[in-house]
Amino acid sequence: MRYSLEQLRSANARYGMFHAMADTVEGDFQFSAKDNLTSKGMETCAGSRILEGYVPAFDATAISKIKAAGGTLVGKTNMDEFGFGTFSANSGFEIPRNPYDTDRACGGSSGGSACAAAVFEGHVSLGVSTGGSICCPASFCGVYGIAPTYGRVSRYGLIDYGNSLDKIGPISADAKDLRKFTYMIAGKDPKDPTSCVQPDGFGEDRPVRRVAVPKEGVEGLSQDVADAFEKALSKLDSLGIETETVDMPTLKYAMPAYYVLATSEASTNLARYVGMRYGRQDGDLSLKFDDYFSDVRSRCFGDEAKRRILLGTYTRMAGFRDRYYAKALQVRQAIIADYKRVFSDFDAVLAPTMPFVAPKFEDISKMSALDSYKADYLTVPANIAGTPHMSVPCGYDPDGMPIGMQFVTDHWNENLLFSTAELWQENFTARRPEVVM
Amino acid sequence: MKIGLEIHVQLPTKSKMFCSCPTTDAPAPNTHVCPTCLGMPGSRPVLNRKVLEYGIMLAKLLGCRVADTTWFSRKTYFYPDMSKSVQITQYDNPVGEGGSYKMASGKVIRITRIHVEEDPGKTKRVGDLSSLVDYNRSGIPLAEIVTEPDLSTPAEAREFLKQLIADIRHVIDLPSDGERSIRCDCNISVGKERCEVKNVTGLKNVERALTYEVLRQTKILKSGGKIERETRRFDEEKGVTISVRKKEFEADYGYIDEPDLGIYDIRELAASIRIKESPQNRASRIASQYGIEPKMAKQLVSTSMGLADLFEEVAGKYDPQTAIKWVGGPITANWKAMEENGRSPEAVVGIIDRFTSGEITDSECTMEIRSAMTGESMESIQTASGGLEDLINAFLDENPEVVNDYRKNDKAINRVIGTVMKSSGGRYSSAEVVETAKRLVESRLRSQT
Repeated sequence: MRYSLEQLRSANARYGMFHAMADTVEGDFQFSAKDNLTSKGMETCAGSRILEGYVPAFDATAISKIKAAGGTLVGKTNMDEFGFGTFSANSGFEIPRNPYDTDRACGGSSGGSACAAAVFEGHVSLGVSTGGSICCPASFCGVYGIAPTYGRVSRYGLIDYGNSLDKIGPISADAKDLRKFTYMIAGKDPKDPTSCVQPDGFGEDRPVRRVAVPKEGVEGLSQDVADAFEKALSKLDSLGIETETVDMPTLKYAMPAYYVLATSEASTNLARYVGMRYGRQDGDLSLKFDDYFSDVRSRCFGDEAKRRILLGTYTRMAGFRDRYYAKALQVRQAIIADYKRVFSDFDAVLAPTMPFVAPKFEDISKMSALDSYKADYLTVPANIAGTPHMSVPCGYDPDGMPIGMQFVTDHWNENLLFSTAELWQENFTARRPEVVM
Repeated sequence: MKIGLEIHVQLPTKSKMFCSCPTTDAPAPNTHVCPTCLGMPGSRPVLNRKVLEYGIMLAKLLGCRVADTTWFSRKTYFYPDMSKSVQITQYDNPVGEGGSYKMASGKVIRITRIHVEEDPGKTKRVGDLSSLVDYNRSGIPLAEIVTEPDLSTPAEAREFLKQLIADIRHVIDLPSDGERSIRCDCNISVGKERCEVKNVTGLKNVERALTYEVLRQTKILKSGGKIERETRRFDEEKGVTISVRKKEFEADYGYIDEPDLGIYDIRELAASIRIKESPQNRASRIASQYGIEPKMAKQLVSTSMGLADLFEEVAGKYDPQTAIKWVGGPITANWKAMEENGRSPEAVVGIIDRFTSGEITDSECTMEIRSAMTGESMESIQTASGGLEDLINAFLDENPEVVNDYRKNDKAINRVIGTVMKSSGGRYSSAEVVETAKRLVESRLRSQT
């Protein structure tokens, strides 16, 4: 559906999904993209005050491919600063509000994208996942979202969080869009060498038949999520999809390894933001360079960005590097091996996407950093392994808040996910939020 | 005393290491730049494969083990001239490790490793309070060669660098104006603790900086002091080194693997690369293969690789003695004039052929070679060299003892040369006089025996 600029603005006033918005929105095919994907001529801040005023000179490959297919970029979606968060509450700008209950979060870090996908009919928004940032908000906002295999979509124009983990993928209320848009944005791009190793196809094109449910994936769930997941399993059974409980002992190491790798890389990526070449350049020029950039960074980075820079700098320090960074690289290999072992018997690994439904902002403000890190324990393993994964809506709690489940398949096997999502959509009654514009 | 060097050489690629910006001189600051070499958010490096090729060539020149797989790392960088504030370099698995380099003196210098990395931009101070940054140089590929502390004196370090740079220039076709693009970090310890003098440009400055450090460290040790481990810089104007930071403030570079670039299996590439023989290696090989004086071999190679080629051609076709006589004699003497006149030496082998088959005499051969190489007419050479030969013969007739002296000590010929140079008043080049005097003295010597 085509929305007018007034409608988009009015929705944005209520839900806060957009950071920058287009001045004109001609064309029937509207889409939006997370604000860490560069958009030529449209401000791009990756949720950070330090990039305020940065207008990129080039489009991210994923955005330019959708534009080439006739898409109109209507806005850039709010997110946790540089992707550092689970609720989009660590945004340097506006925090998107859940379309099912505006007192609750959209999830993160692609919160604004999932929000836009839930609010606007027929709208696809590009998200980016480093540790679960597509599936988490898709789950909280009751929509479909996929993080394709690492390397499937060019990262050219993606403002880096953890380069070895970042993946771009579509979020939509319509399962069929996952296939359509992944095909549209995928492919080898000489501007991103890591995209050039992908095979041509997307694997076997049929719904999954045998699915492994790791014991580790059903621990620590809220009762509502556990109940909804239980029902979803019986529904899968009725669709002829077999599920079986398995052990994946390495999954419990995914979280610490992820935070070491992601923050190590992030701390090097964020080193360039010194208030000098782009974004904020309003420091006190009479200061020495070191003092100048320390001042800009102290003022413009949020607390979570500072925390991750410190963590990441620590884990790669001489003397600690082997104990943390090098160890985490080994853990990643062990997790990949564990997935491969399971995929020799099963088409997919399945678990709830998040252990609870979208929390209220007042509860989020009481959570410690560690509490919110822990909330990602179900999405992090597939992200550290680089395997494609998808969240589909699978139920609602008594308050009507959406619950999602996440399928993970082997590298380069996105077609299994697309077919499964399409089959699921035909058999699951999704509830739309009551949208007020 | 122990000296080790870290030598940075700019590699002569057409485009930068991770983007397609040109490496040529830019018309103005910040014109040869793009999102990648400016470190714009969302930009990404794409490796210029040619950089790995050059890295492998240098690794082979230095006798290093070339890695099977190599990859890149990110290193924290502390100054504003590196746009990303991290440098893409190599840490684990560099292109080459564990090599050695033989100096002309015969001394072997061990090579620790060689890796490739990107150059930062340049900072230029303007006034007291501000600096300008030019990113044209940002992303130009560098090779860093690290030696073990095997050098013993500043002079030896300079000699090592001089030979190494000549070899590198030849092997990777580095333009000869590349001297300024060679920078060195010099590590030196007179006692136990070492100091590092960072970023010294040029051979002469390396020797100066090291010499200053020898004096400084020796003085401290003599007065009972202790050398502190530290990083220093060299002030070219004042000729002194200045402390930049002490050991406890040594940088922690926080290396991680560069996640935007993959792991490169370079076995096939390495196997396909054959490097040209370096001048240094060629001189040693020519000396031993043809049994000639190392000094002469070195002179052939340093005059021109083309001259060395000719020597090998003649030595192979006839024998080393013929090559020494003609290539080491008149051909060497006329080489510079030939190059200046833009001529080639292709005719000389035919002339030598006619000499060996007895068609022409010794002196005819000499003159024909000169004519062919310089383009002078035979008549003018005959007149001139006739005049020169007459002068020398007249001197030798008057001073026959010179020939006997020459048998004992070849320096005796200097008397002939000196007198003739003086009496001819600069009509003949010194190369010409030396060559003719040697030829005539030797021919008298032969007729005596």
